[in-house]
Amino acid sequence: MGASLRSRWIGLALLAAMLLIWQLAMRFEHPNFLMGPLEIARHFGEALRSGELLPHIGASLVRSLPGFIIGSLVGVVLGLLAGFARSLDQLLSPPVFLSYPVPKIVFLPIVMLWLGIGDLSKIVVISLACFYPCFINAYYGARGTSTIMVWSGLNMGARRSQIFRKVVVPSALPLVFAGLRVSLALSFILLFSTEMINARSGLGFLIRQSESSLRFDLMYVAIVAVAALGYAGDELLLLVRRRVLAWQQATSR
Amino acid sequence: MSLRWPDPASIARRVALLAIGILAWEAMARSGLWSPLIVPSVVRIGYQLWLLVTRPESLVEAWYSVARGLGGFALAAVVGVALGVLMGRSALAAAFFGPVFSGTYPIPKIALFPIFIYLFGIGSLSKVLLIFLECLYPIVITTEAGGRAVNRVLLWSAANMGASRARILWRVVVPATAPFIFAGFRVALPIAMIVVIITEMISSADGLGYLVMYSLASFKTDRMLAVVLVIALLGVALDRLVVRLRNRLVFWERLESYYAE
Repeated sequence: MGASLRSRWIGLALLAAMLLIWQLAMRFEHPNFLMGPLEIARHFGEALRSGELLPHIGASLVRSLPGFIIGSLVGVVLGLLAGFARSLDQLLSPPVFLSYPVPKIVFLPIVMLWLGIGDLSKIVVISLACFYPCFINAYYGARGTSTIMVWSGLNMGARRSQIFRKVVVPSALPLVFAGLRVSLALSFILLFSTEMINARSGLGFLIRQSESSLRFDLMYVAIVAVAALGYAGDELLLLVRRRVLAWQQATSR
Repeated sequence: MSLRWPDPASIARRVALLAIGILAWEAMARSGLWSPLIVPSVVRIGYQLWLLVTRPESLVEAWYSVARGLGGFALAAVVGVALGVLMGRSALAAAFFGPVFSGTYPIPKIALFPIFIYLFGIGSLSKVLLIFLECLYPIVITTEAGGRAVNRVLLWSAANMGASRARILWRVVVPATAPFIFAGFRVALPIAMIVVIITEMISSADGLGYLVMYSLASFKTDRMLAVVLVIALLGVALDRLVVRLRNRLVFWERLESYYAE
């Protein structure tokens, strides 16, 4: 505990040093598209008060959350089932693993063509991207279930559905959370790229728009908001994982 | 193992599935329910695909995308493996860099793209650097985990036999970490492809991502779908390449299951 606490302080000190150097570097002559952390913080407060920021955060969340929830839910459920039942494995796994390395963002234009350029096409692309890491991790989690556990369960007279619920799912949970974490990060990447490519609202749109109208203050505010959102989502997920996986000692983040 | 050569029945099943998909698409295209702009026929997509792979000017676009993607990826691989091994084997390096990496990991680096454009220009450099940044994280994180997991007995034996620190690092730590390193590569390479295509879609005048957006904007959906197919196949091919390389270098521990072949 002591060592981890100390490493936390070293890390924080490094972060503080970086911010300080950044701030001091801004005292020199610099192009106007660069800004110091204090200036950005001031603009951030202003944008929050003026209401320039919140509607865009809301618009982004309305797209990313349903996409993440649908994609990862389908991915986890199908992945667990495919890892458990051989027939589903043979049906689902080859196409999923084959199409996994395909960059999912290329489907955005197609989905846009079919479903329009509104929120729906973005949600579909985000959920498509979130599906894969969840499926693959849940699949390996379920396949990695210790055979002895399954045998003991069978020996004690558990039915197949009970084995799935009480043995396979809990033992797959650590990997399921690993997949969820990757999916969450991906959902943000895709959210902001879809919004940068075409949208009339959202943080990605705000970044693009303020950049092209040379409002660098607003651009930095939007970038900070993106970063904060990504960070908060990740922390939330880690919190849930600590709760759910309390029985497993968390060794690393 | 046996999965390297799938049995004929499963090959037949896959071919049948593919054929059904193509036929269903063609049926949709011919039914007249959708405009050919939305569901173009397979024949026209195939024709555009043929044009894409035979005309030098479109091959150049593909080359731009691949060069950017692999350039950023290679940069991230070199820096990431070095940093990851260092962090895995040295408590000081882990304490120093660890919080920075875990703290900035969930931040979507793509949001920095506009700043990168201002700093490094609208050409390839800003894209390559963004790819480098996005690929760095998975490589560092998995390599660090691998570096930590090196069997102590191996390290002790090497030290006992009088190997120097540098030699231990190169002959014991790096090979023992190799499976993790390649796991990181397999996560990072699709990310490299995603970021190439995204950045080319957002701002570029060349590359496959640009070609997609250009074809869409000029209502050439058959061409767009052909480009999408090329990108998809490129992603699969690059992934296969990494797996091949991995199985050759990490010969003592084959990747099994569907991941392999």
